[in-house]
Amino acid sequence: MTSCCWRLMFVSIVLAFLSGCSSSVDEEQVDFMLGDMLEPFSPHSLDELDAKTTWIDQPVVDTLDRLRSYQVDQGPMPVSVTEALTIKNDSPENNTKIIGALGRVAPSDGQGVNYDDAVVVHTAGDLKSSNPIMASSVTDFEVGDLISPGLFTFDWEMQPLANAEMVVSWRTSDDRMVDKVVLRNDWTWSDGTPVTAQDVEFSFKVIMSSQVKPPAVRQGTDKIRWVKAYDDRTVVFFHKQALATNVWNVNYPIIPKHIYQETIDRDPSMTRSDEHSRLEDDPITSGPYVLAKRVRNQEIVLRRREGYYMHKGNQVRSKPFFSTVRYKIIPDTNTALLSLKAGETDVQILTAEQWQSQTEGDDFYERNTKITGLEWTSFHFCWNLKTPFFSDIRVRRAMSHVFDYDEMLNKIFYGLYTQGRGTFHPTSWMYPKEAPPAYRQDLDRAETLLEEAGWVDHDGDGLLDKEIDGRSVPFRFTVLTNNTPNGVKVCTLLKECLDKIGIECMVKPTEFTVLTQNMRDHKFQAAMGGWGTGTDPSTSLNIWGTDEGRNYGHYSNPRVDELFEAGVIEFDPSRRAEIYAAIHKILWEDQPYTWLFYRNSFYGFNKRLRGYKFSPRGPFTYGPGFRSLWTPAAQP
Amino acid sequence: MLNYLVRRLLIAFVTLLLVTFVIFGLVRNMPGTPLTTDPAMMDPSKQISPEDLRRLEKLYGLDKPWYESYFIWIGNLARFDLGRSIAQNNRPVIGLIGERVGATLTLSATSLVLTYLLSIPLGLWTTVHSGSVRERTLSTVLYMLYSLPSFVAALFLQILLAVKLGWLPLLGMVSDDYASLSGLGKAWDIFCHALMPVACFTYGSLAYYTRFIHSNMQEVIRQDYIRTARAKGVPPRRVIAHHAFRNALIPLVTLIGLTLPALLSGAVILERIFTWPGMGSLFFESISQRDYPVIMGLTLVFSILTLLGQLLADLLYAVVDPRVSYS
Amino acid sequence: MDTDRTTIKDSPSRGFWAEAWLRFRQRKMAMMALYYIGFLCLIALLSPAIAGTKPIVCRYKGTLYFPAMGYFNRRWEKPVFQRDRFYRIYPTNLQKNDPNSWAVWPLVYQDPYRRVRDGEWDDRPGNPTGTDGQPSRRNLLGTNQQGFDVFAQMVHGTRIALTVGFVSMGIAATIGVFVGSLAGYLGGWTDVLLSRLIELVMCIPALVLILALIAIIDEVTTWHLMAIIGCTSWTGIARLTRAEFMKLKQLEFVAAAQAMGASHWRIMFRHILRNALAPILVPISFGIAAAILIESGLSFLGFGAPPPNPSWGTLLSSGRATIEQTWWLIVFPGAAIFLTVLAYNLIGEGLQEATDPRLRQAGQ
Repeated sequence: MTSCCWRLMFVSIVLAFLSGCSSSVDEEQVDFMLGDMLEPFSPHSLDELDAKTTWIDQPVVDTLDRLRSYQVDQGPMPVSVTEALTIKNDSPENNTKIIGALGRVAPSDGQGVNYDDAVVVHTAGDLKSSNPIMASSVTDFEVGDLISPGLFTFDWEMQPLANAEMVVSWRTSDDRMVDKVVLRNDWTWSDGTPVTAQDVEFSFKVIMSSQVKPPAVRQGTDKIRWVKAYDDRTVVFFHKQALATNVWNVNYPIIPKHIYQETIDRDPSMTRSDEHSRLEDDPITSGPYVLAKRVRNQEIVLRRREGYYMHKGNQVRSKPFFSTVRYKIIPDTNTALLSLKAGETDVQILTAEQWQSQTEGDDFYERNTKITGLEWTSFHFCWNLKTPFFSDIRVRRAMSHVFDYDEMLNKIFYGLYTQGRGTFHPTSWMYPKEAPPAYRQDLDRAETLLEEAGWVDHDGDGLLDKEIDGRSVPFRFTVLTNNTPNGVKVCTLLKECLDKIGIECMVKPTEFTVLTQNMRDHKFQAAMGGWGTGTDPSTSLNIWGTDEGRNYGHYSNPRVDELFEAGVIEFDPSRRAEIYAAIHKILWEDQPYTWLFYRNSFYGFNKRLRGYKFSPRGPFTYGPGFRSLWTPAAQP
Repeated sequence: MLNYLVRRLLIAFVTLLLVTFVIFGLVRNMPGTPLTTDPAMMDPSKQISPEDLRRLEKLYGLDKPWYESYFIWIGNLARFDLGRSIAQNNRPVIGLIGERVGATLTLSATSLVLTYLLSIPLGLWTTVHSGSVRERTLSTVLYMLYSLPSFVAALFLQILLAVKLGWLPLLGMVSDDYASLSGLGKAWDIFCHALMPVACFTYGSLAYYTRFIHSNMQEVIRQDYIRTARAKGVPPRRVIAHHAFRNALIPLVTLIGLTLPALLSGAVILERIFTWPGMGSLFFESISQRDYPVIMGLTLVFSILTLLGQLLADLLYAVVDPRVSYS
Repeated sequence: MDTDRTTIKDSPSRGFWAEAWLRFRQRKMAMMALYYIGFLCLIALLSPAIAGTKPIVCRYKGTLYFPAMGYFNRRWEKPVFQRDRFYRIYPTNLQKNDPNSWAVWPLVYQDPYRRVRDGEWDDRPGNPTGTDGQPSRRNLLGTNQQGFDVFAQMVHGTRIALTVGFVSMGIAATIGVFVGSLAGYLGGWTDVLLSRLIELVMCIPALVLILALIAIIDEVTTWHLMAIIGCTSWTGIARLTRAEFMKLKQLEFVAAAQAMGASHWRIMFRHILRNALAPILVPISFGIAAAILIESGLSFLGFGAPPPNPSWGTLLSSGRATIEQTWWLIVFPGAAIFLTVLAYNLIGEGLQEATDPRLRQAGQ
């Protein structure tokens, strides 16, 4: 019996395998169609266009120069550099002094700059893709900023600009439907081929091809109707509608046409074929730095590209300051800080805890200094308005009154953050002039509001309850949060505060993936979350518009929807500001979130570095961003 | 014996299918997909549209029910194709795992060998000197080591040896200039980098293995045949090493079989702290990112090793204990 | 005739376990370890009386209450304090609302779940936060970064420390011994099937199960996590038991028992098991203590019981972020864990020697 059994089993297993074989997935064998998501469009010739359009000039700026003149306007340095290197950053005044002295950009002629220096930057995650169209992670965008910057950028006041290092002129038609850009003729790819307007057109078509799957960059780009390269240097963008956000939509990444037009037919995913894999490790890019070496999960090395600033023997752009930029991948924050202290990395983000207690001593200041800047990243509790608890606005206001903001700001965050005042940051242009007052903890008021809403301890068990549909519902809910220590601390504080007035709150630290998925599927009652800032406030339609993708809590207010629609077609800056300020005030009234705090940027820098400046998005992902960092040459 | 071997291999095959089926089902049905977090950074302007999301889902086979996807995966497996990672930009899974095997083996195999090399003599020594002050002190020290979790000790060692004294490198497996080193230089470089991780991986288990051997030996030395050997005048060392230890081998063999899987499941925590590019951290990352192909690839490797370990242990029983046979 | 009768009284055998207990009692170290565990149990039971911010007993508006019971179960802290807007601060509010009230307070006025604020007790300042919380007169073992008192956390965490080990090891040992003994003793197809079951469970990574559990269940407590740990770590014990039973079933006493007609169950669990204890006592005694460390590791990775969780393991992993300054977050829980590991292992050692029949022969 036994041997028969075995033979039978063997045969059945083999059969199972073979049948599995035949049903395996086949690669898509459909022909690649470039730009098939676009509706056909026949643009006018360039002369016709020029004839019928009134052009408005848009700013074409060298952001480094702009920063330089901004700093000159600020006046002389508050302290000397030598002194700034000795002070400890333990107060806002010292912070200003250090930034004022050490943040000065290098002189325009490059005098005194050490051009041979290599800088080591800490990053927590590896580069997913060096192809800027497939960029998705934070590291992708940071590295992409240096190896594949686009035509457009924005400064630290979030003003959209064209980059003077690539662009000669930028004009918009007065009806805002057309943008015309003229490229410089001394801009080349890392293999020497000139960058042309055809590359810009090709990149647009690639992004708008259905078989290509860009994780992030299609948003916004899909609002462009057509891109036409009229000659090697002139490219024109045609928009679908006259929106204020058109100036942001044209900011998409560029890939070389002469390389990818050959390879993309065989592999539209741009990631699978051998050629594309080789390009991943050795891409052809157009920026000041090139990807020189990648060791997975360890480091990414960028090297300065001579072909960027030298053209036909002449220097045509300012020389990028570092010869090498090395990104070191260290997932653990404690280890990363040790690495900074040991001088093995030069640039690092710090947590509030590390700022407060781990970077005070001589072991830190021996080689490094630290600075902080405002960032428009805010954190909040998101209430799910479709639960029996939070559908009532009085309950939400009660929640905002219950929370002990002082304890959180002073004891959990050591006074380093400011209290949240709504969806826009108080220093932004969208913030209302007469802002509503901040919430303070007021337990009596909270209880009164809850009583009005019908939440009282009817059955005497210590928990508030309410009769809904004939059943007594106790006020018990779960708040989801990310697994980070700060998230857990804040939610624990919420639990403590709610416990005082008879509401039971369970804190559930969740993995990021599960948290995001549950919030997307609206499977939560309350959650702690945070938002960074987009470049334009119209992007927050995502969060507040009815049934929009990031409106996790089912918030819906038709007036807010109207205002968003109005804001995107309004071009006058002061009227725009009024529209968004109105949105801010309505949201504050409705309290779909309880806004908690704004998180600032904290960075540790090696003492030899200079030239850092903070924008509301941090020190790097804007113009000039990382490019403003430099090392002075050693003094004789 | 050959019959037995073939039977075991076939059964292992079936077990593998079962294990992969269960894990596949479990992971696919947990909330979250590989597409949940990728574009979902905190910047509201970088979001993927629902149509694109659907297109991506179709590409990665996420729109199919999980048992169908499992069948497809098995089919690919039959052609030795472990698929491509979703979160890591379509890199082949075999490549990803292959990158890390070396690092994990360097850490785990070294640590395992070291543990056995140290704890067998220690265990025997404590048996001989059982009850004495020296033995009690040693046991207490080993318990102290056991009670200190590895992630705390790792940080202590890093601060002391790497930052304050600068004797050892702080993290990673190789230095930045590894490629330019000579053969001997490379070996030395890896050695220096591996010292702290291996130490942290090993010290905690010393107490366990020593106690394990001690306890088994205690039972053995009270047997009659040991009394006989002593009465015959056999020197005490030979009594322990030659007569007693062999009979304590069966549980030890079981233990070896059990620790083989630990070889690859790796020290997730330690790999993270030391930025050691091993399979443990790949596993952890791939689970958080729901990178199904990588999770399945790693599970497969892990299971194969587990099953091999048990087979090895079972075969060794026959070697070690003449009463056990498999004909 | 009466004189023919033997006058030796038949003393019935005390039984295996009673005998073992007698022998166990003679080992000093093992008894000390047992006393230590007993001491921990006492602390766990009396934890609200040792450290807490709720009175043990108080008389308020004419009635006696026991608010400290609220630490065990929320419902046992009566709603009257809720209605009168105490907001969980007893010292000042008791006096304010009823000047005739009196209360018996716990030994140490600190709370494991929150930071004590300024002025709660006799104008004392609130607990320091960050790295300023060294051990001091008010905070005997210091505070953690959020200002929660370490002494209170350790006292209330004793409950968890004692029970996690027993829950996880209890499950693991029961399943492991059961499966292993059946597989080792019965052999044949039972062995084949059970061994495959063991391999199947061995191959499933515990991490995946834990994540799946956390994702599915709403209110994940330490017990759920420990149950999962127990359900995945029984395989080692099963393999060890199986090997031991395979070896022991060849011995003569088993043949004798079979000849006497004993059933399989009786042979396995009454005869063989006692002789097979040696190899499995070590994993079990280590495992009970290891549960505390596993809990600590889980909270380091980010999965643990819902906060605030005053367990020794959570304290330990929270100390990591500020390790150079907050030594008290590592030393005190570390010492407690060490003592517990020591105690469980001494008990395991003692048990092994007490149950080993050969020691009786040697005139022990």
